[in-house]
Amino acid sequence: MRLAFGNPALLWGLAAALVPLAIHLFFRRRPREVPFPALELILRAKRENERRVKLRRVLLFSARTLLLAAAALALSRPRLEHATAATVAPRGPAATALVLDASASMRYRLGGQPLIDRAKADLGDALAALGADEPATLVVCAGPPPDAPPPGYDRAALRRALAEAEASYGHADVGACAGAAARALSGDAFATMGKRIVVATDLAASAWRLDAPAPTVTGPGGTTLRPEVRVLDAAQGAPLPNLAVVDLTAEPDLAAGPRAVRVVATVASYGEAPAKEVPLALRWSADERAPVAIQGFVDVPANGTAKKTFTSAAGPATPGGDARAGALAVSLPPDALELDDARVAAISIPRDARALVVNGAPSTRKLEDAAWFVESALASPASPVRPSLADADALGEVRFADYDAAFLLDVHTLGAKAAELRSWVEQGGGLFVALGPQVDTDLYAKELGNLLPPLHVVKSAEAVEGRASAGARLVDLDLSHPALAVFTGTAEEGFLGARTQRWMLVKPGGAQRVLARFDDGSPALLETRVGRGRVILFTSSASRAWSDWSIRTSFLPAMQRFAAYLAGTLDPRKPTPTVVGTPRELRLDDGAAGRSLAAVVAPGGREIPARALARPAGSAGPFVLVPDRPGLWQVKVDEGGEAKLDPTLAFAVVPDPREADTRRVDPAELTAWFGGESHAQVAAEARPEREVPLWSILLVLAVAAFFLEGLLVA
Amino acid sequence: MTPSLLDPEVLAKLASLKLRARAVAEGVLTGLHRSPHHGQSVEFAEHKEYAPGDDVRRLDWKAYAKFDKYYVKQFEQETNLRAWLVVDSSGSMGFKGEEARLTKLEVASALAASLAYVLVRQQDAAGVVAVADRVVRAVAPRAAATHLDAIVETLEKLAPAGRTRLAAAAAHVVEHAPRRSQVAVFSDLLDDDHAVLRELAQLRRRRHEVTLFHVLDPAELEFPYEDETIFVSMEDDARVETNARDVRKGYLAELTRWREGLEREAAAADVEYVLCRTDRPLDELLVPWLARRQRWSA
Repeated sequence: MRLAFGNPALLWGLAAALVPLAIHLFFRRRPREVPFPALELILRAKRENERRVKLRRVLLFSARTLLLAAAALALSRPRLEHATAATVAPRGPAATALVLDASASMRYRLGGQPLIDRAKADLGDALAALGADEPATLVVCAGPPPDAPPPGYDRAALRRALAEAEASYGHADVGACAGAAARALSGDAFATMGKRIVVATDLAASAWRLDAPAPTVTGPGGTTLRPEVRVLDAAQGAPLPNLAVVDLTAEPDLAAGPRAVRVVATVASYGEAPAKEVPLALRWSADERAPVAIQGFVDVPANGTAKKTFTSAAGPATPGGDARAGALAVSLPPDALELDDARVAAISIPRDARALVVNGAPSTRKLEDAAWFVESALASPASPVRPSLADADALGEVRFADYDAAFLLDVHTLGAKAAELRSWVEQGGGLFVALGPQVDTDLYAKELGNLLPPLHVVKSAEAVEGRASAGARLVDLDLSHPALAVFTGTAEEGFLGARTQRWMLVKPGGAQRVLARFDDGSPALLETRVGRGRVILFTSSASRAWSDWSIRTSFLPAMQRFAAYLAGTLDPRKPTPTVVGTPRELRLDDGAAGRSLAAVVAPGGREIPARALARPAGSAGPFVLVPDRPGLWQVKVDEGGEAKLDPTLAFAVVPDPREADTRRVDPAELTAWFGGESHAQVAAEARPEREVPLWSILLVLAVAAFFLEGLLVA
Repeated sequence: MTPSLLDPEVLAKLASLKLRARAVAEGVLTGLHRSPHHGQSVEFAEHKEYAPGDDVRRLDWKAYAKFDKYYVKQFEQETNLRAWLVVDSSGSMGFKGEEARLTKLEVASALAASLAYVLVRQQDAAGVVAVADRVVRAVAPRAAATHLDAIVETLEKLAPAGRTRLAAAAAHVVEHAPRRSQVAVFSDLLDDDHAVLRELAQLRRRRHEVTLFHVLDPAELEFPYEDETIFVSMEDDARVETNARDVRKGYLAELTRWREGLEREAAAADVEYVLCRTDRPLDELLVPWLARRQRWSA
């Protein structure tokens, strides 16, 4: 411990303590002479009180001296400083760079106080301990290493910057920031000075890339020097256990129902003790005030992870009213690091889609009834749509707008409903057309127009060596198509095994996409985009009349996936989360004209207008946003002059999982990385109070001396 | 309020002891007439023809009815009254706590002269003995009016000097007062001989009535001094330097102890003790005492 003074100049005031002595020695009033008759009484009184009087005089003198000395000392603001505080600036003068770890993990609350506050106090002490001839600079490490300004002498500016610094929500490479600090110290300006870096951090291992070169300073003449480094542990050696939700996935689970979502949360524990029965809550909203939909419990091993799966029907639609998109959140009970205790995901909510199956050739023989096969496939429990059956002759009461998808199976003519059908498709409806003996190609061309490619003649499978053909096979399956993507491996065999005896030849144009062919090269499955809708054409029949595909294993799942695709519940768009601090491209990908990005709304409601977003690829390219906090970010779209939220564009921003890992780097390892104990000191142990203010004690003494003096005088 | 003539501060402005004594005596007499005390009842001795100044309450109306002349009753002890007024004129009696006050000697002298005035006025005999370390002056008791001047002159010439030794006065009275007398001692009792009352008790054994008028200045009674002070003895070369504030409490305790001791010894010796503060009106000091001795009034 050493004694230090905040106002050493005021120590001159101690001379005031000599005043009582000076008065006693040099300025005592000469006693006056008084003739008095009863001298003997005075003598007796004096003899009896002599000792008490002497003691009182000594005490009075002491009290007066103490009062003046204590007051003067108190004004000089003495304090006892711990030796380690002094070694923050052990050898000087040196140009100093202060590095503040402002990553997300510094929000960890230890003893009720965030680590960032402790780190700021440590750097404040380091700054105060610098000599007046030691320039300093500050690097706030909240993300990518900033360009640190060269050291200067404006202490007030540094203190202000330190006070204003806040912990971010992102990851920071503190080692790289130390490198930026070292670069700031380089150069000829401070060639004659030592170089010192003081880092205040939580020593989280994830913040240090010990495989990268340690920071060095370029000295005069281009020499490379290792700076003197002092690393201050904001946690002072205390462990920082943490539980975090480090991953969250949410996908439609059609097997569990039309609106079912399968949610898988991964919980990590960074601590020496396992966590038993940790409650995990699922909400169908990003708002933490929303009611808990499901609560589960999970056991997480020490320094390990565990997964918890929830399967449930998706909750209410987003506030925008769109039933196709929403958000969910999984949360733990809040702990010392709250930002990773919850994770949000944006989801596409599977809709309860309806499909119309139009039977163009009803038959009492099921094998010849295409609608029987299709309706059976769509009516199974895992189907994404609810089918409704109608005969082609009875379409008068049907409203295509009531359905999300329609299946035309060997329909001869639509008659008056053709126009309605075309309009419905253009506005987003999904149409599946299977051909057959009833189809009149001329009527189709006239009624359906550009919904289908031109249909030509019916072709039969060729006989081989005089024997009846086994039938054409389906080949060249476009597995990149969302509806067919699942038919990989052995599932593809279900397609390839189908045999088709008869099919209609078509000539696809530029608007069609061939999804499968027969082995003669003619298209078997084609997709056409019309307006906002989609049309899939199977050039053969869905019944056994022309093809046996309907009895193949692939038929049922293919029908269901085509139904989902056409109904829009098999949207290729899957909201992917973005990590805080990572750039995210924003684009409107539905191709609709008249829509433009208006603004991005951050969690908490802060709006960032589109004009404030970067567009590195130019005005035709996507907007780029670097989100700075976790939560559900929403997008406002300008459509027809009105800006409103589009829930389908919402995306989740998640904390960097590296910041949840609060396990600490080995101080010895870090010291070695910086160049050993001759260059670096990592203060990772608990430090006693840096300073003990004495001025308050001295003021109390002064007040006590004042009252004692008053008592003695009285 | 107009200060009374009997106010010590006013009296102090009267340069002449005679004037002071007369003023006090007039006040005393006035006070006596107002006093409710009628003194002890003693046996009727004889009639005396009424003279102006006699107490009209003593008029014997029966005698008037008989003889058509005014006569007052005299009681046994009223006749042949002789009083010795002992005045301490030692150095310590020259003390006064404030410039405006009378010294203790001046007060004692005024008291003695006043008493003498009253006594002579009543045709009683009064004498004075001034004593320091010895009898300085003595005037034997006489009842003549002209004797008053001698008493006053003696007292006026007194100057405070020497040490206090009251035993000398006691011896003088013993020697010169064959008959029973009233002895009033005006002193601060700061006697070398701490057994001053033993000496005075001798007088009592010889059947003299002794009253001690303990004359003290308020400064002696209250010790109003502060700071470092050198107290100088008024009777010898002794000096004491001390911080007055430090010794005040102890001094007052000693003073109280000393005075209580004197009172106890006086009571034990059947000597009356009267404290006389020099800042009190002098008649207030004498009237109560005189009233208790109704036989003094004529």
